[in-house]
Amino acid sequence: MSARATRHPAPILSARDIVNRFGRQEVHDRVSLDVIPGEIVGIVGGSGSGKSVLLKTMTGLHRPDSGEVLIDGKPIGSIGAAEKASLIGVLFQQGALFSSLSVAQNVMLPMREHTDLPAKEQESIAAMKLELAGLTGDSAIKVPSQLSGGMVKRAALARALALDPKILFLDEPTSDLDPLTAGGIDSLIAKLNESLGLTVVIVTHDLTTLFTICRRVAVLVDGKITVDTVDRLMRSDQPWIHAFLHGPRARGALSARRQKHGNG
Amino acid sequence: MQQPTAQLSASTLAIHGEGDRLALDGVLDIRTLSQASKALRRWLDKRRGGRARRALDLDKLSGLDTTGALFLWRLGEQGVELTGVREEHQALFGLIGGLEHQPLRKPASLPRWRQLVIHLGKAADEAWHDTYDVIAFVGRATNALGYALAHPRYLRLPSISRQIAETGIDALPIIGLMAIMISVVIGYQGVAQLRPYGGEEFTINLVAVSMLREMGVLITAIMVAGRSGSAFAAEIGVMKAREEIDALNVMGMDAMNVLVVPRLIGLIITLPLLTFFSDIMGLLGGAMISQSLLHVSPVQYVDRVHHALAGGDLAVGLIKAPIFGFLIAVIGCMHGLRVKGSAASVGHETTRAVVAAIFVVIVLDALFSVLFEKLGL
Repeated sequence: MSARATRHPAPILSARDIVNRFGRQEVHDRVSLDVIPGEIVGIVGGSGSGKSVLLKTMTGLHRPDSGEVLIDGKPIGSIGAAEKASLIGVLFQQGALFSSLSVAQNVMLPMREHTDLPAKEQESIAAMKLELAGLTGDSAIKVPSQLSGGMVKRAALARALALDPKILFLDEPTSDLDPLTAGGIDSLIAKLNESLGLTVVIVTHDLTTLFTICRRVAVLVDGKITVDTVDRLMRSDQPWIHAFLHGPRARGALSARRQKHGNG
Repeated sequence: MQQPTAQLSASTLAIHGEGDRLALDGVLDIRTLSQASKALRRWLDKRRGGRARRALDLDKLSGLDTTGALFLWRLGEQGVELTGVREEHQALFGLIGGLEHQPLRKPASLPRWRQLVIHLGKAADEAWHDTYDVIAFVGRATNALGYALAHPRYLRLPSISRQIAETGIDALPIIGLMAIMISVVIGYQGVAQLRPYGGEEFTINLVAVSMLREMGVLITAIMVAGRSGSAFAAEIGVMKAREEIDALNVMGMDAMNVLVVPRLIGLIITLPLLTFFSDIMGLLGGAMISQSLLHVSPVQYVDRVHHALAGGDLAVGLIKAPIFGFLIAVIGCMHGLRVKGSAASVGHETTRAVVAAIFVVIVLDALFSVLFEKLGL
């Protein structure tokens, strides 16, 4: 099944007919997803439905059994390392901060590798990114093991934004966070999306994230993908999607959406 | 005004105009920033104290990222007038302008001599704590071991047998090979040194006695410290880092009983057995050397070894093995339990466990040599 975004500008990220199998288990059965510049797309699905594998495929970390991923019209495999670093940024689920470096050094690492900015400039940029991500004061000189869960996510987000990528991939950005911090991350993502035109792909279980900031949602069920706006997905009669969007947890999230968007 | 851009290519930036009014044309992002920054700083420095206010026109700026916006915002702070800001860049300037822009805090730096003093103090404190920990841990481990032996219900036999398989049976090939190699080395040296005195026959005595009394147990203990001491530290360390030890605790199980005691018993059983195996293999290596260098047939060799060895030689070697086994296991487990949180800490403690175990084994072996000499064994 393919759900292509039509009538839109050329997609900045496009996964075409992705097939992934592990042994006899087929995780993705010709999955296609087009993301247009400046939109926030959520990817949801049950545990083991292949969300993370899809994210790995789209970031070029996993080579699919068939199908291709295009970023800006170019196959992801043909993009050079430095260019890829400036095109995509990834926030990994556990943060993946380098444990031997301080938070600020983590953020400066891609700049040191890929630009010739003087150290002082890099430091002020890193301070700005960290502040954007909501980290100030002493946290910049701490090492990752000294940070709380929410601070790890923020620091990892700052690092993902270090080179101002065009596409930001977020793997469960709000999991393990208290609701207030999670809400802060959500509004931060929305703010970056508005002011930078940043394209964002979020793998999440967090219904509030889906309802409040995602323009479209891709649902992975049984190896197939369904991509649509939240409103239209609400009316879907596919059993998993219905259960997911109409469960007791969805109600609370929906009220958050009403608060944000008015009655929508 | 074109400068070579940074490694990341693609976007380009041109700077037009002269005097107090310049215009940016193109994309100002992290790739073009160093170029823009160099050019504009020169422009700012050129005529300090000029009356007219400098202005930078951004109308033709087609692309801007947070880095570029930060740079322009700072120019604005320095008194440069930014004109013609495009609609789509307003939000970005709003975002950047709304930040507090505190400089990155630097870790407090101390003078060298104070660092040295602090380091010395910390090291001394750590050494004291290490010693204390080892003694306390040996006590706790012995207590737990005694309790388990007195209450066989708490002896975890499946766990012990797994430890014996992993630390003992799996180690047989490498330890056998090492023992043969060492006896070959001793044999060659013996023949070379004793030949001028016509005493090369005594090489057999040298190999047999030194393998049984010292080398067999030493090689085995060092190998096991490297193999199993590190494994204990890493296994328990990972469990500690992943809160599995805490999980055991809240379920009313003590890591000491569940994890440490089976490993202790396992190694106390396997190290003497491995040592015996290593002695046999060492003698076998001796036989090979005698055959090839001294032309002594295996049958004669067995006879010679029989005469060379006193009754106590084998026992002197084997008696040390369970003690080494106990200490290697205690040190490995102790360092495993000292892991704190991160994966780096697991690596750190594993290294320390191996170094400490080998150190203790060799020091203790030297003490035993002196002791047995005094006792006349």
